[in-house]
Amino acid sequence: MADTRTADIRTLLGGGSPEDRLSVTHLLVGAGFLIVGGILQLLSLMALRFAYLFPISYGRLEPAANLSLIIGFATISLVGGVYYVLPRLTGARLAMVRFGGLGLLGMAGLTVLGLLAIFLGFGDGDQPLGLPWWLDIPLAGVLFVPALMTVATIRQRVEQRSFVTLWFVIGGVVWLPLLYVGYLLADVPAASSVAVAYSQTFFSSGFVTMVLVTLGSGLTYYTVVKELDVPLASRQLALVGFWSLGFAAVWWGAAQLLFGPGPAWVAGVAAALGLAWPIGAIANASNVTMTLEGSWSDLGENPSVLSGLLGLYLTVGVAVVAALAGFRSIGAVASLTAFWEAIEYVALSGVSVLLVSAMSFSALPRMSGRELETARKARRFQRLTITGSVGVLVSLGAAGLLSGYSWIGGANSAAFVPVGEGWQTALGTSYTTLLFVAVLFGLVLFAGLGGYASILFGTLTRGRAIPQEVLVSREMGDE
Amino acid sequence: MSDLSAAAAALGIPEPLVQRSAAARAAQLGVSVDEILAQWAGGQAVPAATAPAPAAQPEPETAEPTPEAAAPAPVATPDVVIEVPGAPAEPAPAQPAGPYKPPVLVGAKDNPMTVLAGAVGLFVIVFLVGLIGPSIPTDIPGARTSHIDYSEAALHGQQVYLVAGCAACHTQMVRPVVADVGLGPVTLNDTNQVLGTRRFGPDLSDVGSRVAAGQIEAIIGGLGDHPGHDLGEEDMSDLVAYLAESNTSGGQPGAES
Repeated sequence: MADTRTADIRTLLGGGSPEDRLSVTHLLVGAGFLIVGGILQLLSLMALRFAYLFPISYGRLEPAANLSLIIGFATISLVGGVYYVLPRLTGARLAMVRFGGLGLLGMAGLTVLGLLAIFLGFGDGDQPLGLPWWLDIPLAGVLFVPALMTVATIRQRVEQRSFVTLWFVIGGVVWLPLLYVGYLLADVPAASSVAVAYSQTFFSSGFVTMVLVTLGSGLTYYTVVKELDVPLASRQLALVGFWSLGFAAVWWGAAQLLFGPGPAWVAGVAAALGLAWPIGAIANASNVTMTLEGSWSDLGENPSVLSGLLGLYLTVGVAVVAALAGFRSIGAVASLTAFWEAIEYVALSGVSVLLVSAMSFSALPRMSGRELETARKARRFQRLTITGSVGVLVSLGAAGLLSGYSWIGGANSAAFVPVGEGWQTALGTSYTTLLFVAVLFGLVLFAGLGGYASILFGTLTRGRAIPQEVLVSREMGDE
Repeated sequence: MSDLSAAAAALGIPEPLVQRSAAARAAQLGVSVDEILAQWAGGQAVPAATAPAPAAQPEPETAEPTPEAAAPAPVATPDVVIEVPGAPAEPAPAQPAGPYKPPVLVGAKDNPMTVLAGAVGLFVIVFLVGLIGPSIPTDIPGARTSHIDYSEAALHGQQVYLVAGCAACHTQMVRPVVADVGLGPVTLNDTNQVLGTRRFGPDLSDVGSRVAAGQIEAIIGGLGDHPGHDLGEEDMSDLVAYLAESNTSGGQPGAES
């Protein structure tokens, strides 16, 4: 037993089936980018509060954090989860495994190059990623890799009966590159300023709902059912969740530009269809909750199921807040403020790490033959992540509402009319205090993100050896 | 050749994997790792585990039942099965007959390609309605326009504005809402400014009418609470030109409004 404890990660990655090795590598690389993205995200939040202290402005920190978290962590980790479940759901070997390795190399390499480009001043400043065109185009190509591998694997499937996770996987991996291409198409130099603004909210909101929450929820369905060995409560509810998430994407993003120079009908449509996100989120959370019926007592002993449940509940909270801000009455106060920053901040770090951990806490021991390290650390990670996420959501959201009301108050009292810049003074200490509180909760959230990465690396290097699931071909097993 | 190498060769599985599997099996059976490896190297089967290992059975989701499976039915052998690699040749111990439990990770018989087609179709609709729709230029009253004829230097300054990340904190979008009263004329659909989606700093669509060029340069350099930007001389002057020409109301800095 002792010698297995000394095995390093490289050796571990040498074992198991090629698809599981690929999946584990994705999870490890994703965890690395999570740390980088978490630091950058926290620094960007600090730069909002203490702008004069930072040599790098919020304007560069934020796209760098987005790039690390969207592509480096969430995309790479969720794609790793897709490669884990695909063979197990289809009964077929993962197609084009080496192609998947190149895809990982491409995503990780382009993320690193993108970070360098942003910090060295070669970015194009477009939200949310700010990549120059010479990185945008190859990244769009690389994002097609998981979609191609998924389709190729499904075409060879043996299992003819689809578990619901397969829908979410198909939707997530297909929508990801299409979203990116759409974002690039509307962002060509000839595009109008309005088109560019909508393309940016289109991608950032679309990624959260159509990729992050779609894939995360689908993988959580798989994890919960597999871990508890109980059937899913409702296939129909999962169907509602899936199609609602696919349809929700644009509308909570478009709501950020409420009352802007776009057509007037956008406001009404955004308010009505923006509700699709909470509908989808509630459908998935309630479905998993019903599936857990009778297993609640085991929840504390099962970190992956608890992470999934917490992730889905946090998604519901974020989705409800976002949908509310889509209504004209609230949007008149909240749009353009830190209120939206709160939603994106928590979605990209808190929601994503909880949903990813639900899958990885279950999958990693099975793929690596190492017991999760440890249940106690997992509970601490969950506590920190939930506390930090809720704290950031509330404090940053409140700061946003406060600034919105201050603008209205200043306009009514004519305080801003002469100079237009007086609003900053008018916000006063309440606003800066709330931003400071958000920074404190951001630190707690970052501790949670670090806890996740620590568990992953700890499992692979120090986890106790346990029987390992290995995918072997029928021919191999028969020999 | 060591037992480990011999076992790995016999099983056709990488050595690290055999080592870990042997350790796990040894712990389960209460024997030494070397004994397990020696048995595997000699091609011998090991005694069955007293308790079934979690992964020793084929994954339920890969064992496809017949659609009518309401009772135990012959299970189709899939191309992929899950096994503990250390015991590929070990016959499974006879299981006592029990009530049939259907696999939990299978659903209705369907065609995933239909879902794929639906996902792509849905995306096309979402793209057209959610992105292209709002981006189509709308008719605006001829009396006013938000389009500004920027100079060459100012257009380069707009690129500097983007690259420096100014749009992450500043909007150039005045909305017809109470909160934006006093910021300048409402921004129309034909604007060629950088709209932005966050307003952590003041709106800059009409900044040229309020703040003189020299003061703009000082603010960019770090005056007050504004973060300092170390731009080159040309970039700085072009950025200042862009902001100074961002004057939608036609006012002059310092003039009483």
